[in-house]
Amino acid sequence: MKKIIIGDNIVKSFGEGDEKHNALDGVSIQIDEGEFVSVMGPSGSGKSTLMFALSGMDGLDGGRVAFDGRDLTALKENEYADIRRTSMGFIFQQPTFLKNLNILDNIMLPSMRDNRKNVAEITERARALMKRVGIAELEQRDITQVSGGQLQRAGICRALMSYPQIIFGDEPTGALNSKSAEEIMDILSEINSEGTSVMLVTHDAKIAARTERIMFMRDGKIVSELLLQKFSGTDIDDRMKRVAARMREIGV
Amino acid sequence: MYYRIIRNDLAKSKLISLTTLIFIAAAAMLVSLAAVLIVNLSGAIDQLMTQAKTPHFMQMHSGAMDKDRLAAFAQQNSTVDEFQTLEFLNMDGAQIVIGKSSLAGSVQDNGFSTQSGTFDYLLDLEGEVIHASDGELYVPISYMKDGMAQVGDKAVVSGKEFTVAGFLRDSQMNSLLASSKRFLVSEHDYTELKNSGSIEYLIEFRLKDLSELGAFETAYTSAGLEANGPTITYSLFKMMNAMSDGLMIAIILLVSALVVAIAFMCIRFTLLAKIEDDYREIGVMKALGLRVSDIKKIYLAKYAAIAAAGCMLGFALSFVFRGMLLENIRLYMGESNNSFAALLFGIIGVLLVFLAIVANVSGVLRRFRKISPTEAICFGSSQEKSAGAKYFRLSTNRLFSTNIFLGVKDVLARKRLYVTMLLVLVISTFIIMVPQNLHNTISSKSFSTYMGIGSSDLRIDIQQTDRIAEKAVEIAKVMESDKSISQYVVLTTKTFKAKTENGSEERLKIELGDHSIFPVAYSKGRAPAAEDEIALSAINADEWGKKVGDGITLVIDGKDRKLTVCGIYSDVTNGGKTAKAVFTDNSSDIMWSIISAKLSDKSHAPGKISEYANRFDYAKVTSIDEYIKQIFGSTISSVGKASFAAIVIALIITILVTLLFMKMLVAKNGYSIAVMKALGFTNSDIKAQYVSRSVFVLIVGIVLGTLLANTLGEVLAGAVIASFGASSFHFVVNPVSAYLLCPLMMICSVLIAAHTGISGVGQIKISGNIKE
Repeated sequence: MKKIIIGDNIVKSFGEGDEKHNALDGVSIQIDEGEFVSVMGPSGSGKSTLMFALSGMDGLDGGRVAFDGRDLTALKENEYADIRRTSMGFIFQQPTFLKNLNILDNIMLPSMRDNRKNVAEITERARALMKRVGIAELEQRDITQVSGGQLQRAGICRALMSYPQIIFGDEPTGALNSKSAEEIMDILSEINSEGTSVMLVTHDAKIAARTERIMFMRDGKIVSELLLQKFSGTDIDDRMKRVAARMREIGV
Repeated sequence: MYYRIIRNDLAKSKLISLTTLIFIAAAAMLVSLAAVLIVNLSGAIDQLMTQAKTPHFMQMHSGAMDKDRLAAFAQQNSTVDEFQTLEFLNMDGAQIVIGKSSLAGSVQDNGFSTQSGTFDYLLDLEGEVIHASDGELYVPISYMKDGMAQVGDKAVVSGKEFTVAGFLRDSQMNSLLASSKRFLVSEHDYTELKNSGSIEYLIEFRLKDLSELGAFETAYTSAGLEANGPTITYSLFKMMNAMSDGLMIAIILLVSALVVAIAFMCIRFTLLAKIEDDYREIGVMKALGLRVSDIKKIYLAKYAAIAAAGCMLGFALSFVFRGMLLENIRLYMGESNNSFAALLFGIIGVLLVFLAIVANVSGVLRRFRKISPTEAICFGSSQEKSAGAKYFRLSTNRLFSTNIFLGVKDVLARKRLYVTMLLVLVISTFIIMVPQNLHNTISSKSFSTYMGIGSSDLRIDIQQTDRIAEKAVEIAKVMESDKSISQYVVLTTKTFKAKTENGSEERLKIELGDHSIFPVAYSKGRAPAAEDEIALSAINADEWGKKVGDGITLVIDGKDRKLTVCGIYSDVTNGGKTAKAVFTDNSSDIMWSIISAKLSDKSHAPGKISEYANRFDYAKVTSIDEYIKQIFGSTISSVGKASFAAIVIALIITILVTLLFMKMLVAKNGYSIAVMKALGFTNSDIKAQYVSRSVFVLIVGIVLGTLLANTLGEVLAGAVIASFGASSFHFVVNPVSAYLLCPLMMICSVLIAAHTGISGVGQIKISGNIKE
């Protein structure tokens, strides 16, 4: 299977002098094309930092990251930005939208950077995605006029605009109620089933149980890995039990 | 606790605090300077007028005078304390030569006096009454300021030799606004000069009680006493003395108001931004039960500290510039003894600035009341949206690139924030444009026609010589056959007697010749064409009370000759009191002749000038540009300097404010910058968005500022120009500099400032701002 992301011995530290600590302490990770993975761990274990490091949002203090065969560590900041914009999608826990723009404009924004001339095409795609996630009627609303669940759907639309090879989600359901959370996970599963890789960072076992591979982190290291099958939609209780058992086993 | 909050806050926003501090210091300095100047000026004027014993009431009079009748009036009127009549020997400027320079071009009425007996003394620079010896000449202080005269210079007045023994302060005529200037000579010398000029009387009174002045004036008028000339009272003398330095003070006050306004705007902007930033915290504090006044104190404390520091700094700086600005007052009016009062008023001025700033901050902070705790805690920002920007959508935008769109959109969506920056840029544009347009206008060729100078290329003056008429004909003959001269005209100035309303006769200088060749601009009517027509300069028309269509009677060879006023024009030459007519006259003597000529190729002017100057050594040959330079040169160059200074100041303000605003926007928009970066926008994309914000605001600012400069600015400049004697005024705009160079300079400044201001964008880390 082709590796979409390879992280090798990644080190990332924060603070200076005595207060310096390694948020990522030699982490190695690989994600296959079309894979649906999640990273779990307690607060401060380094899971969000790992996601930021893999997507090039944060520089590394050691190790290397390759995306789709390209060594990201060797790239300049602008080249990183180009890759994020054209090949990656991001979903954050809190809605990260520009207040001045309505929902539709926010979704279109990253694509407009390069393809302004195809504005009609971009608008059409944005509308199609909005329809798909069930927020078609919200396009002219301000971001302050919709619910958290609706905003997160808009975030997914924005992440999908550029036909990304991978979607990163940093606690994408963290701020939502369980019903909304499940709906978001349904959409992500659907996207994954179409071939897009998805990597989620979560502390919620129920969310993690819907992914096919779970990495457990503690103190800046991946301490364990749990392989599950692709989620079929029926055996969630059994999967959750396996996750809980592994967490007890390794003590995270 | 406040100390800690202030210290932390200042450390976090050094540049912003420093800029605010600079503006406040500048404002405090200017206000304090203005206060000090006002106190010193009024003190010095009082001192001068007390030492000189300035008359409380003065009637100028030319013509016969019944001294006994006046003395009897003074004796009978119980309010009169002292009474005297002085003579003022009016002399043509051409008859006075000091050192090497003649006063022929002087716009003042220069005259001679002896020292007064009981009051209205002419004082030396130590404030003592001068006693002139024979051969000594005391010169009005304004000629010392001009550098026209120095102690020890030889002077020739109507053929008689004098030595400049010193300078005098004249509590009546010190001011450049007073159109007459008194030179002081000894009694003996005065008697010798008496026949070379015309005598005007100064009928002067001092009253026992100045408050009786109104009643006294009425009594004087109703007694039907001598009154052929202006009446001037104590308060008018005072005002004239105060005027020129008063103007400077007014300008300083105006500039300080401007700087205070800018300081206000900086504070408003930083505060609004800070409130946006701290929206959630403010909501939380409100939710926890803190009173609005308590929350306000936290914010007020910082600005009170900056304002206090700025005011103290400004006050200290005012001492540095004080001496420089007081120099003129000291020279014209002497020292004032009000140094304590000056200090006091300076402090009061600075305190006012401080209080105004605190009040302004407090006003902006009133917004706290509107913050809803629930809204603030849930959304972390105000949910009010501006309607105007709603229809400006990315999905329908075809005009701008995405980055420019985002910049413009942000400005439209947060108008309240950007309006502050806009106002500063409008003011800056205004400050650049108005003095520049004014400078361009007064240095333009067409403007000189507004000032009484026709647009020829060269000018030949024949004066202070005999056989002027023959010499003029001789030159004209040469010009006639000179192929390089395309047009020329001979204009001859003669003095005529004209009848005033009350039947007495006054002298009127009239320039005779063809006035259609190099016409001046007429504010009303047109140039004289027929034998019975006359055009008057604005000042003469005013003095004689004539309008177009009125009649004026000249007395030529004892016979009356009626002329009709056909036009009125502005004139600054020959003191502004001129007239133009076309009739031929052989009766009176010629005062001077002027031959104006236009060359077929202007570039030959220098050659022609030396050719004619060599050939006719009795004539003064100048290019018209040189002539204009002599007359308005100092005005043009000082307006030019002022306009240059204005450009520099405005650009500095623009740069500082743009730098401040951009720095602050980047600091407070860390989150949205991080979002943009996470979504794959590069640093240069984000910089382009911020630069477009400032450029967009700048463009609007330039347009508004230019419109304002061409409307309000023209009115303001017109008022200034009117004081030179020009009655109609429109800006002559140099489109290249006004509509291209100036905007370009501002755009460059804003680009540089914005670029420097947003250099922090690169340092903003995505993870630091977004990570949960």
